Amino acid sequence: MSLRQIHKSFGTNHVLKGIDLPIHQGQHIVVFGPSGSGKSTLLRTINLLEPPDAGSICFEGKEYGPSMDGENLQRGKPRELRQQVGMVFQQFNLFPHLTALENVTLGLRRVKSVDRKEAELLGATYLDKVGLLDKIGAFPSMLSGGQQQRVAIARALVMEPRVMLFDEPTSALDPELVGEVLYVMRALAESGMTMVVVTHEMGFAKEAGDLNIFMDDGVIVEQGGREIFTDAQEERTRTFIKAIL
Amino acid sequence: MLEVVAQTTFRWDFIWDSRWIFFQGVKLTMAIALVSFALSSALGLLVAVLRMSKNRIVQPLIASYVNVFRAIPLLVFILFVYYGVAIQFNLNASAIQAGVLALTLQYSAWLGEIFRSGIQAVPHGQREASLSLGMSRVQTFFRVVIPQAARIVIPPTGNMFIGMIKDSSLVYIIGVAELLRVSNRLANRTFRYFEVYLATVLIYLALTMAVYFIVKYLEKRYAPLDVLTAPARSWWSPTAKRRANRLRQLQHEVLAAKGIHSEGIPAEDTADIESLELSPPETINDDERSTHS
Repeated sequence: MSLRQIHKSFGTNHVLKGIDLPIHQGQHIVVFGPSGSGKSTLLRTINLLEPPDAGSICFEGKEYGPSMDGENLQRGKPRELRQQVGMVFQQFNLFPHLTALENVTLGLRRVKSVDRKEAELLGATYLDKVGLLDKIGAFPSMLSGGQQQRVAIARALVMEPRVMLFDEPTSALDPELVGEVLYVMRALAESGMTMVVVTHEMGFAKEAGDLNIFMDDGVIVEQGGREIFTDAQEERTRTFIKAIL
Repeated sequence: MLEVVAQTTFRWDFIWDSRWIFFQGVKLTMAIALVSFALSSALGLLVAVLRMSKNRIVQPLIASYVNVFRAIPLLVFILFVYYGVAIQFNLNASAIQAGVLALTLQYSAWLGEIFRSGIQAVPHGQREASLSLGMSRVQTFFRVVIPQAARIVIPPTGNMFIGMIKDSSLVYIIGVAELLRVSNRLANRTFRYFEVYLATVLIYLALTMAVYFIVKYLEKRYAPLDVLTAPARSWWSPTAKRRANRLRQLQHEVLAAKGIHSEGIPAEDTADIESLELSPPETINDDERSTHS
C-alpha cells in the first residue's frame, strides 16, 4: 500500500501538504506530532473517510482518491478499500443500540453476508481474543472505556483487514485503562498485523514501532526507527520528544 | 324545593345505558387518530430527510412547508380544508377524509422536525464507524442511524400521538361523529351536561394514559440491559431467556474450540489481560510480511 502526494484542505486551512508514505505488509507505523499537525487527517485519508483533494492511494493494484497525472491504474471504490482496512477511533464509536456481539457481527452480516450462526461464533471468538467473552451480551454503555475500545478492536479485526488504523486509541481512556488496550495492540503487532497508529504513547512507539513518523504543519518532518527518540536529526522533533517524554 | 334537589341530583344510569354511543365515538376517534398519525409519520420522515438535503430548491421549499403548516391554527385549517376547499370545489371528499388530511398535513410538519432533530442527534462518529466497516451509505442510514434516532424520538413522538388523540376532537366542527360529537349530541338531548362531559373527559384521559403507558413500555423495552443477566430482572419474558441461553451456548462453543470445558462463566468481569491471547488473523503469514502490499 502506498500514499503519494496526498493533499487535503479544510476551507483555507491546508492540513496535508503532499504526504508520501509507503506502507509495507507487517509494518508498524507510529505517527506522532503536535495537535493540528494533520496526523489524524492523514490516518483518515487512508480509508477515505476524508477524501484527499489531490494525490493517490494505491492498494493491491487499485487506485483510490484523485489520481496522479499521466497514470492509468485501475480505479477502486471506497467501499472496497474500507473492507480491507480496519479502523479504531479515539471515541470508540461503538454502536450503542447493539450488544457487544452485535457490534462485532454487524459488518460480517451486512458487508460480508456471513449467515447469522457463523457470524455469531466468529464474533464471539474475536471478543474472546480481546478478553471479553463474558461481555458478549452487554451494551456499550455498561462497559468501561477500556472494554469498549477492546470491543471496537474486535469489531475491526473480525473483518480480517489487511491493515489496521488506530486514531489515538488510548487518548479518551482513564489512565488505569490504557494498559489493557495497549496490551491488545501489542499482541496484535506481534501477530504481524500491518498497523498505522496515531498515538502519544511513546512507550508503545518505542516497543512496537518499526517506522516512527514525526509530523508537523502538514508535512512529515522526520521518520526513522527507534533511534528517532534518542537521536533525532531535526530540531523540531527533538523539542517535541523532549516535551512529551 | 323538591324540584331543585332533583335537578342537582346527578344521574349516571343513562351514561351506562349510552355506552355503545360513546363506544362508537371512541372507535372513530381512535381510527382518525391512528390513520392520521400513521400517514403523518410517513410524511414526516420524508419531510425530515428532504429538510436535510443540500439541494438549494428542495431544502427551503420543505422549510417553508414546515413553517406554514405549523403556523396555522388547527381548527381554522380543518374548516379551510373541508368547507373552503373540499365543499367549495365539489371535491367529493367526506368530512372524515378532509379531517384526516388536515391533521396529517399539520402533524407531518411537527413530526418532521422531531425526526430531523433525532437523526441529527446521532453523533457523526457513528456514521464513520459504520462506513469504516465497509457498509454503504444506505446500510449506514438504516442499520446505524435510524435505529438510534428512533430511540431518541420515542418520547416526543409519544407526546405527539397524545396530542393527535386530543386534536382529533376538533374535527367535530365539520360534523364527524367522533367522541366529542356524539357526547355533544347526547348532552344536548338529555340536558345532562355535567355527567356527559365528565364521562367524555374521563374517556379522553383513559385513552391518553394508555398511550403514555405504551410509550413507557417502549422506552423500557429498548433500554440497554445485558442480555446475559436480563432474564433475572424480567423473569416473565421467555424471549429474554432464549436470547441469554443462545449467548451462553455461544460462550461454551468458543471455549470448547479452545479445549476448555466449563460449566459456565462467572458473572463478574473475568477480563484478564495477562492470559489474553491474540492469535494472528489467517490472512497474514510470515512469507507475506516482508512483501509490499
